[in-house]
Amino acid sequence: MTEAAAPDVFDQARALFDRAIQRNFKGLGYFASPAPVLGASPKDLLIQRGTMNLYHYRPMTDDVYRVPLLLVMATTNRGYIFDMVPGQSLVEYLLRAGYDVFMLDWTAPRADEKTLTLADYVTDFLPTAIERVQAETGEQDFSLVGYCFGGVLSLLWAALHPDAPMKNLVCFTTPVDFSQMEMFQSWSDKRFFDVDRLVDTFGNCPADYLYSAFDMLKPGAKIAGNIRLLDNLWNDEFVKSFRMFDRWATDTLPLAGEYFRETTKRLMWDNALHSGTMDVAGRPVDLATITAPFLHVTAEHDHIVPSAASAPLIEMIGSTDKEQVTMKGGHVSLVAGGNAIKRLWPKLIDWLGDRST
Amino acid sequence: MANPTPDPGAFLRDMLGQWETMANQVGGQMMKSGEFARAIQGANAATMQAQTATHQIMDRALAAANMPSRSEVEDLSARLRGIEESVVRIEALLMAQAGITKPERPKPSRTRKPPVKG
Repeated sequence: MTEAAAPDVFDQARALFDRAIQRNFKGLGYFASPAPVLGASPKDLLIQRGTMNLYHYRPMTDDVYRVPLLLVMATTNRGYIFDMVPGQSLVEYLLRAGYDVFMLDWTAPRADEKTLTLADYVTDFLPTAIERVQAETGEQDFSLVGYCFGGVLSLLWAALHPDAPMKNLVCFTTPVDFSQMEMFQSWSDKRFFDVDRLVDTFGNCPADYLYSAFDMLKPGAKIAGNIRLLDNLWNDEFVKSFRMFDRWATDTLPLAGEYFRETTKRLMWDNALHSGTMDVAGRPVDLATITAPFLHVTAEHDHIVPSAASAPLIEMIGSTDKEQVTMKGGHVSLVAGGNAIKRLWPKLIDWLGDRST
Repeated sequence: MANPTPDPGAFLRDMLGQWETMANQVGGQMMKSGEFARAIQGANAATMQAQTATHQIMDRALAAANMPSRSEVEDLSARLRGIEESVVRIEALLMAQAGITKPERPKPSRTRKPPVKG
């Protein structure tokens, strides 16, 4: 039996030849075809105000959980990471599971929005979105789900509003101890990095600058990724996935100048959130005032927010119902792609389900 | 059980994986160093200096040609945004006064319970 199944040199050669042919044909198709359509789940734009967009996704079930869910995206990237393509969309997954889903997403701040500060995001954009979610659903309670810096914004807002009817707070890979983000610390080293000059020169922090910073966290990844793409051009699924993630990763947003200046100085340099000296518009932030049920999910191989930067969060939160979970994967594969479908998404709806009625 | 067909490219793929890991580690260590930070921020400072100089030259050239500078266009953009927001508010008020409302989508009931855990 083993003999019959032994690989035949001719079969191997034929398989290699077939792949080589497909690589050539599909390679041509790759460059000729448009990028995949991402973030296409049916939705209504409820608020569009400069850099701020609030979306309401159309429910997919006749009966939804009482408590609506507001996703808060990181300000450096586009929210369609939560809504890639049908079958690979967290939004679609939540809608099918019976959640009423909203998303606070961002577009590139305009030149005249360079004066936006952290306070604008925390005490204006976020509460405006929450009020609209409440008005739209007729429910006072809501769940907040923040990703990366969207988690930081959610934490800051929640700490300033301990009496708000926030039913649940979920953070994905959210940093609190910025001194542990070694690479970013090195680049923003105040001995060499003049953030004032950068903001005063460019107005907003350019997207290219941020993209380069993210890209250099893994210096070999881009070259290796392109070689893998070439090797797998025959594989439609691989190419589709590569294009989705590559498009999202390169679609980095600029940051409003004053907001970038403030986050660099207060969080990267002073590490104010971890040291307990953080304030927003003069109001002190104490994460211990957050008492709503809390879930924090981190990624084992997160190269952007290492565990050391995110792990202290769970201890700083005042909730008695709180859980920290570390899952396999990286900063992006935690929330999107095959890994997320198997791990994070089921965990999220399992945790939220009992707490959303 | 049949042996899987050996892939002649597997060795190269494995090598690529190892190279990537090594490049990320070595490159990462290098980039964490103070020297690298100094070099990269030096390059950034030079870019910003060039940008500032270009802005100044362009501002003078635009002023000489009696045209608005970038900062003046930004001010106009900010004012336009204010006007846009006012128009949206006025439109909403007028529609409300005229009794025109968007057709409501049917809203789902909000009584869903989590599945019973077995």
